[in-house]
Amino acid sequence: MPARNHNQWKANPPLKGGEWIDSRIYSDPEIYEQELEDIFKKVWVPICHESELPDPYDFRTATIAREPVVVARGPDNVVRAFLNVCPHRGMMIERRPSGSFEEAAPSGNPKRMTCMFHGWQYDMKGNCVYISREKEGYQDRLCKEDTGLRRLRCEVNFGGFIWVSLDDKVMSLEDWCGDAFKCIRKPLEAEPLEIFHYHKAVIGTNYKLWHDTNSEFYHDFMHYHNRVTGFNDAYFARENTAFKHGHVNVGSFEVQYDEYEGFESRAELSFPGLPPNQWYMVDLFPGMNFNLRGSALRCDIVTPLGPDKVMIEFRGFGLKSDTPEERRTRIDHHNSIWGPFGRNLHEDLIGVAGQGSAMLPGSENRRILHGRHENNLIHDEVGMRHYYDEWGKWMNRLPSDPSQPYMPAEAAE
Amino acid sequence: MGTNGVAVGESVRDAVYRSCILLDDEKWSDWLNLCDADFEYEITAWSPEINKDMIYFSGNRDYLQSMTDMLDKHNTDHSPLRRHATVYTIDENDDGTLTVMSSLAIYQNLLDGINSHIDAGESHLFVIGRYIDKMKIEDGKAIFLERKVALDTRRLDKGSHWPL
Ligand code: FES
Ligand SMILES: [Fe+2]
Repeated sequence: MPARNHNQWKANPPLKGGEWIDSRIYSDPEIYEQELEDIFKKVWVPICHESELPDPYDFRTATIAREPVVVARGPDNVVRAFLNVCPHRGMMIERRPSGSFEEAAPSGNPKRMTCMFHGWQYDMKGNCVYISREKEGYQDRLCKEDTGLRRLRCEVNFGGFIWVSLDDKVMSLEDWCGDAFKCIRKPLEAEPLEIFHYHKAVIGTNYKLWHDTNSEFYHDFMHYHNRVTGFNDAYFARENTAFKHGHVNVGSFEVQYDEYEGFESRAELSFPGLPPNQWYMVDLFPGMNFNLRGSALRCDIVTPLGPDKVMIEFRGFGLKSDTPEERRTRIDHHNSIWGPFGRNLHEDLIGVAGQGSAMLPGSENRRILHGRHENNLIHDEVGMRHYYDEWGKWMNRLPSDPSQPYMPAEAAE
Repeated sequence: MGTNGVAVGESVRDAVYRSCILLDDEKWSDWLNLCDADFEYEITAWSPEINKDMIYFSGNRDYLQSMTDMLDKHNTDHSPLRRHATVYTIDENDDGTLTVMSSLAIYQNLLDGINSHIDAGESHLFVIGRYIDKMKIEDGKAIFLERKVALDTRRLDKGSHWPL
């Protein structure tokens, strides 16, 4: 068809329900607010890794759906999560990204979380243990027992990631995503992992567009590296598998890294139990990604900052038992494609920034096509179809017309 | 630094500033020609988030040559970088080589960064950090043996395919 007039452009494509979506779900401020309430406040979010707080009293802070969160390792070695908000006048208690409570804050005691404002103090279990001039001000009307921190559901799992949920009634983490992790659980859990890479990107795009890019491999056409190291029969036989709760796996194949000039095979340092140079991907609803390319693990976590703004945190992992030489090789492998100056990440981020700038809030809604069918193999867009069906259920909205209530794709035709 | 310290200082500063201009102009091979055959390059950062020294990119001269030779095959944004370095200290090592520390700010001048209609022409700070160079003097010329780009910036947004 030649270029289309406005009506033709606005018409629905000749595809079935579920095979395209409306771009308003990437830009509408009301939908964004509802996503924070109905999705991000209800799911498990892997906010960091246990190797980021190795010792008792170590802490790490994060944000889920605008709510500040702190996780701290207690003297009993248990990692607990709390809302990082003081029950007195609402100050954010810990302001640094990470550190240790072993040392006293300027207005507090060692081994306590101290709110700097009026000096209230909390222990590693979230108990309020000190209120400045408690009796003088509150007499018998309010005491420390009434002013504990808000504790949050927290579990350490799937290779030592620290998962937090703002929902007290969230299902167990195992039920939430155990199936989706099956393909890489052995390599992740054979021995402790250790973080070696962290950087972040704030991009003017919707968080789901980043997750989409992590879930579809059709875009390997934009990565010269992936074209020359993949694009063989085994690559085209990689399978996408959908799991309950909107999660997806992309199956493995053997990557020919040495086909890219200057790169080398990763066989020698493959994660334990992982055949050489294999590459598995676990995409979790609503926007977390675990990517195991032989010798290094990458994890992306999205923090939506607006309908058209997302922070993506990138982490890289090796084995805690690595020798310095082994670690160095893993870091090089990680950086070659995934580092901020690597071959692929820059291209992926340009891609979603381009989508974001063409889908700003208030721009005309468009149809975004997810209609490729190739027997669930690598360039089949089943991953995104599965995700948006789940999204529709959580939001009670139809992805192809978000002003309508959810209905299954077949019924929506 | 001996009696010819002034001359050494001049060659070192000349080499550092020349490297900035050549990198700014994306003359990768000319930049590598300022470097020794065994040149080693690294972009690093210390992360207070994970309490670790990190390496974001590294490679020797051959690796950098092949990465820059392949740039045409990669999609990249075309927003030029402008490096502003000031040589702060030049110290002589026991083996006669020099350690040169420069303060570094790199600005990005947008072309197609986001929406070029709006953004092209805008400049903003891209990264801050230091160049920590190891150099030797040969025939009065300063040659790069190592360059470490020690970044403070860890929010790198779209990143880059280019050496910094
Ligand atoms: S706001 Fe925290 S002690 Fe007052
Ligand atoms: Fe990609």
